[in-house]
Amino acid sequence: MDFQVVVLAGGFSKKLVPLVSKEVPKALLPVANRPVLSYVLDLLEQSNLKDLIVVVEGSDAAFRVGGWISAAYLDRLHVDVAPVPEDIGTAGALRAISHHLTARDILVVSGDLVSDVPPGAVAAAHRRHDAVVTATLCSNPVSGPADSGSSGAKDKTKKPGRNIIGLDPSRQFLLHIAAGAELEKDLRVQKSILRAVGEMELRADLMDAHLYAIKRSVLLEVLDQKETFQSIKKDVLPYLVRSQLKSEVLSNGAPQVEENGNDKVNSQSKRITQSQILANASNRSFHELYAFGPDGSASARRTHKCCVYIANNNKYCARLNSIQAFSDINRDVTGEANHLSGYSFSAHNNLIHPSAELGSKTTVGPHCLLGEGSQMGDKCSVKRSVIGRHCRIGSSVKIVNSVVMDHVTIGDGCSVQGSVVCSNVQLQERVTLKDCQVGASYVVTAGSEYRGESLAKKEK
Amino acid sequence: MQFDDKSRVEKAKKRAVVNQTEVRNRVELFRHLPQYEHGTQLPDLESKFFRNDPMHRAVYKVGLQYLAGDITGGNARCIAMLQAFSEAIRDYTTPAEKTLTRDLTAKIGSYVSFLIECRPLSISMGNAIRFLKNRIAKLPLTLSESEAKTSLCLDIDRFINEKIILADRVIVRHASTKIRDGDVLLTYGSSCVVEMLLSHALELGKKFHVVIVDSRPKLEGQSLLRRLVANGLNCTYTHLNAVSYIMHEVTRVFLGASSILSNGTVYSRVGTAAVAMVANAFSVPVLICCEAYKFHERVQLDSICFNELGDPQAVAKVSGRGDVNYLGSLGNKDNLQLLNLMYDATPSEYISMIVTDYGMIPPTSVPVIVREYCRDQLWI
Repeated sequence: MDFQVVVLAGGFSKKLVPLVSKEVPKALLPVANRPVLSYVLDLLEQSNLKDLIVVVEGSDAAFRVGGWISAAYLDRLHVDVAPVPEDIGTAGALRAISHHLTARDILVVSGDLVSDVPPGAVAAAHRRHDAVVTATLCSNPVSGPADSGSSGAKDKTKKPGRNIIGLDPSRQFLLHIAAGAELEKDLRVQKSILRAVGEMELRADLMDAHLYAIKRSVLLEVLDQKETFQSIKKDVLPYLVRSQLKSEVLSNGAPQVEENGNDKVNSQSKRITQSQILANASNRSFHELYAFGPDGSASARRTHKCCVYIANNNKYCARLNSIQAFSDINRDVTGEANHLSGYSFSAHNNLIHPSAELGSKTTVGPHCLLGEGSQMGDKCSVKRSVIGRHCRIGSSVKIVNSVVMDHVTIGDGCSVQGSVVCSNVQLQERVTLKDCQVGASYVVTAGSEYRGESLAKKEK
Repeated sequence: MQFDDKSRVEKAKKRAVVNQTEVRNRVELFRHLPQYEHGTQLPDLESKFFRNDPMHRAVYKVGLQYLAGDITGGNARCIAMLQAFSEAIRDYTTPAEKTLTRDLTAKIGSYVSFLIECRPLSISMGNAIRFLKNRIAKLPLTLSESEAKTSLCLDIDRFINEKIILADRVIVRHASTKIRDGDVLLTYGSSCVVEMLLSHALELGKKFHVVIVDSRPKLEGQSLLRRLVANGLNCTYTHLNAVSYIMHEVTRVFLGASSILSNGTVYSRVGTAAVAMVANAFSVPVLICCEAYKFHERVQLDSICFNELGDPQAVAKVSGRGDVNYLGSLGNKDNLQLLNLMYDATPSEYISMIVTDYGMIPPTSVPVIVREYCRDQLWI
């Protein structure tokens, strides 16, 4: 259907240190024992989008991601992994691969999105209105209890990214978008847009899902003209939304000048009649009304449309952009949104791999995940947690509300609460962790107690 | 297709692209017409966007616009559909070992079934499709693929130009001779030809007054009213319930039509028949402005055997007034059925004259035009 899909898988994110490392780029962070990129790829595969371009920052990370994708999706998807330089921003990444883009519209998906919003619906809304960009919005996911998350003092990105979104009365067009740092200052609304529409609805409860459908010609033109644009969300999208009634990007609606003579007048007027029949018969959006001017004269002002698709309330949508979000998504995917994980849950509402061994008197509560080859000692208790593959967990261990990745060794008597423990970590006896993050291959000495800290191996 | 035949409905559902859920409470008399739940069609079609067999994007866009109600009106729908087909033909390539004519006809057929699922075709669209299929079948075999495609696109452009645009101009020129100074003209709903006629008559400098009669639930007359008032016409706006009170002031009635059938019956927006009958009772002449490509050889005696059912909930709601919800919980009762008909048939005895691009004819001359000029759907 003339759409090309680009997945922006990021690279090494500073916000997610110490979870990410050189061996585990952000795209391969496990959520419910599956790399987070697999959720996006599965969503696209279900919608029959089989040709993808995955953009990864940093050649090392690109190599790892490419290796994993070709192993996991050998015959199911055709993926081109394109490495781009680091810290280049989402717009910069698109600029770098612009020569690969050939289709009429581009679907840009963020690689850290965990969602079941159908990309087809976004594409259909985009085509129906012949829009220049269509954004996907959904209601904010409920985030975990704020005080048990990463400690407030250290983590400034605690609040989910707040957006202020301006919509038209029919909730199809995007009139205003402001996010993040701009919210601290005053909110500036374009008067021309407000006058043309008449009524604007401002919403603060919607989250940008980072799934955009953009017209290719416009995207390339904007990226070419505005060299400084680094991020789609912060630069490109607000620019397009602001300039929708004073469009400089397209030769949109400007009447073509014919060659000469009588033909010119006749075919002009025929085309005008034809477009008038179509225009009078259809529901005109405020763009057309604005372009045609108050006296109905031919369009002197060029406009383009920015549409929006608001996902249904029953769709799940979350982005992995902070440690708090990581814990939340893990909890959701094993809990309410467990249809996303692709596993089938047992009668106790948890998933224990058949090869996992449980000691005597060990309880595994609902909404838990136990990976293959893991061994648990006696008298353990696991509640609302995800445990990876090949873990060795001793006796009398309590794991509550946490994520434990693969190949972890936990000694006896430990207590892990609200924490994230990465791969290859060794927790010796009687360690207590509360709201901590332990980086890969770290060894926590016996008997230590940590509260709200981030432990990682020193890089050599 | 008759929708009260269960086995055929099942077969059609299996082939269907758009997933339609049928309304539970259906009016028995109209069981042979399709009636679907209006809220679910658009989201379902959207979610299957990438999954369908490669439907050309222009056709898909037009289908979505029909489904969402973005385009209404016989001429506009026909033009939009033909432009989408033109784009699809331009992007078409013949697969190996297949002939252009057969494969392209099959493809157009699949597009047409998709459009039918989005919204049942109007008669003007049906005629245009038959014309296009006829042109494809008549393509000489010696033409190369690109020549054939350009020839088809030219044919489509010519059809739109001659049968719609130029036809409208001719109709407007003829009909404006029937408007005299001091006339009070009445029109119903929103017809693009009638609107062009009124604007043209105003440009010619005639002095007249327009009465626009409108009806729920679509309230199409309001957009017509806005445009005419913006042009500087003196207008009166009223609803269908008041038509007999205003008719004694009216000197002529101009109506548009979706189609004119062979027995002179005018098939048009629901409410047109009422307006025509009231005008007849007051001895006011009724003139129908209709392009010739909308004529059809079918004969219809009532509005029941062939019609279109709209969204029944639209009858119960008032747009812009969410508090007016008198039916409320009654909507789901078994012994209450909501009916929203879109078209009706006006018998020919209430029509004084039909203005077409072939001239001004009485309703009894419609089968003559169909017979003489519609040979093989070529509309020469």
